Amino acid sequence: MLTFDNVSKHYKTADGTVKALDAFSLTIDSGAFAVIKGPSGCGKSTLLLQAGGMLRPTEGTVSVNGQDLYALNNRARGDFRREHIGFVFQMFHLLPYLTVRENALLSAPTKSTEVDALLERLGLSERQHHLPSALSAGEKQRTAIARALLPEPALVLADEPTGNLDPENAALVMQYLADYQQAGGTVVLVTHGTDGDQFATRSINLRGGTLETDRHAP
Amino acid sequence: MHLLRLILKELGHRKFNAFLAAAAVTLTVFLFVGFTSMGRASDRETTRLMRDLGFNLRIIPAATDEAVFWKQGYATETMPADYVNKFMNQKGISYRHLLATLQRTLPVGGVDVLLTGIAPEVSPLETAKKPMVFEIEPGNLYLGFHVARHLNKAKGDTLELGGETFTVATVLSEKGSEDDIRIQGRLDDVQRILNMEGRINEIQALECLCRDPNVDSLDTLRAELTKILPDAKVIMLRDIAKTRERQRITNEKYFAISMQIVLLVCAVWLAVLAFLNVRERKSEIGVLRALGYGTGQIVLLVLGKGLAIGLLGAALGFAAATAVVLTYGPAIFEVTAGSIAIEWPLLVQALILAPLLTACCSMIPAVYAATQDPAETLREL
Repeated sequence: MLTFDNVSKHYKTADGTVKALDAFSLTIDSGAFAVIKGPSGCGKSTLLLQAGGMLRPTEGTVSVNGQDLYALNNRARGDFRREHIGFVFQMFHLLPYLTVRENALLSAPTKSTEVDALLERLGLSERQHHLPSALSAGEKQRTAIARALLPEPALVLADEPTGNLDPENAALVMQYLADYQQAGGTVVLVTHGTDGDQFATRSINLRGGTLETDRHAP
Repeated sequence: MHLLRLILKELGHRKFNAFLAAAAVTLTVFLFVGFTSMGRASDRETTRLMRDLGFNLRIIPAATDEAVFWKQGYATETMPADYVNKFMNQKGISYRHLLATLQRTLPVGGVDVLLTGIAPEVSPLETAKKPMVFEIEPGNLYLGFHVARHLNKAKGDTLELGGETFTVATVLSEKGSEDDIRIQGRLDDVQRILNMEGRINEIQALECLCRDPNVDSLDTLRAELTKILPDAKVIMLRDIAKTRERQRITNEKYFAISMQIVLLVCAVWLAVLAFLNVRERKSEIGVLRALGYGTGQIVLLVLGKGLAIGLLGAALGFAAATAVVLTYGPAIFEVTAGSIAIEWPLLVQALILAPLLTACCSMIPAVYAATQDPAETLREL
């Protein structure tokens, strides 16, 4: 499903070259719930952005469902991302002038029927016509999850999705992601916490841009 | 979601930014429409007033050699003095002043002077205007500054010309022109001095017009005058034509420079607002990119907002300027007040040019937004 093949990402800074990822290889199978952890600067966010086709590697290839993301031009990569990949961010990043429903539809404008069932499932039906400014943090993140899941992508990339939530809402969010994985989707979760451990089918630790540990759940 | 809906939603959300941008466009269109409408009204008013002023004409004998005329300042040939009466009685022509003169160069006291006889000025009876030049009493002379000094004459002295004795009524102050070597007397006195009774060599017709309000052509006027004064020809004094042209050019320059300044200020204002808006929307644009929105859609999002503001500003600016012009124009341009109306072609121009201006001003911020690396943006978030 998601394959990193000998991927490196180097940044040039005033202090020299920083290797965010260094000859990194990893394959995550379809239907996995992969939790990626590691200290700050270990390359977690770089890995997630590269998996989303947002950050071209210095070397190596990144493939989703067998498609080399960076062999595509910008437009084709955008189209591929819209169809196959969903993002959930720590800071939600909802458009402040769109309602819950409109924010969800942003990723799949044609799915105006399906969005109702999804909002119902995420407990947002009552709030679907509210703007983000009227929502709690948990509701905002559930809206962001609705936006990520509505196109029914093969892969959901979640970057610290519970970082701004209370434990109750954090558990809810993890449950939604797990439900999605149970329904056949693939989830890659980058986190500092332990919220996703109970659902993880794969636990990966990064250090210094390389794979430190990679455990498969029994 | 449709891009247009996104644009309208964003406009409604960031009202202050939209208000400032729309205000800039509205003000620019207001000034453009206001300047243009008022400028056109001013042109019409000036044209009408100038037309009412009419032409300033010099009527000289037909046989006059222009080269000699312009060199010596008067016609050598003469024409009957009753041409003035013929002119006065012509029904198809109106005028404000008629002045008949007879001029010759005459040696006086060892120096050549310009001797000019001036008939009492004629005005149409119905207007009874004050004479534009002084009227000379019979037996009196007005001496130019240098003539008086050369002849050592002062006011009240006498001067003998052509065997007659005249009184110096006035010594004119120094003019710095041929008037300084001129002696002016009453026409019939000068005719006697020169033995040219009943003759003149020029009629000046000031503010002269055909009575038909639909005719404002010098050629028509000339044709009319030629019919009644067959031995005369008409030369136009150039002052009015020059003044008209000068005023037109001045107005055009003023308008062009003013509009350039307004456009420049507005363009900078709009560009800064668009750039600030794009910076404010950095995360939004990053998220849209993450959701698969392409470069073209992001550019359209920013440009579309500019176009929407341009259209709104064009409509508001046109409406405001038209209201001002229709309210205050008739009071300013009283003579042509009736012709002040809504200038619909300016609305079309505004609706095309204002969105173009805003689109141009949004272009750099739009390209900036579209070329932002979404990974960089999202990493900062």
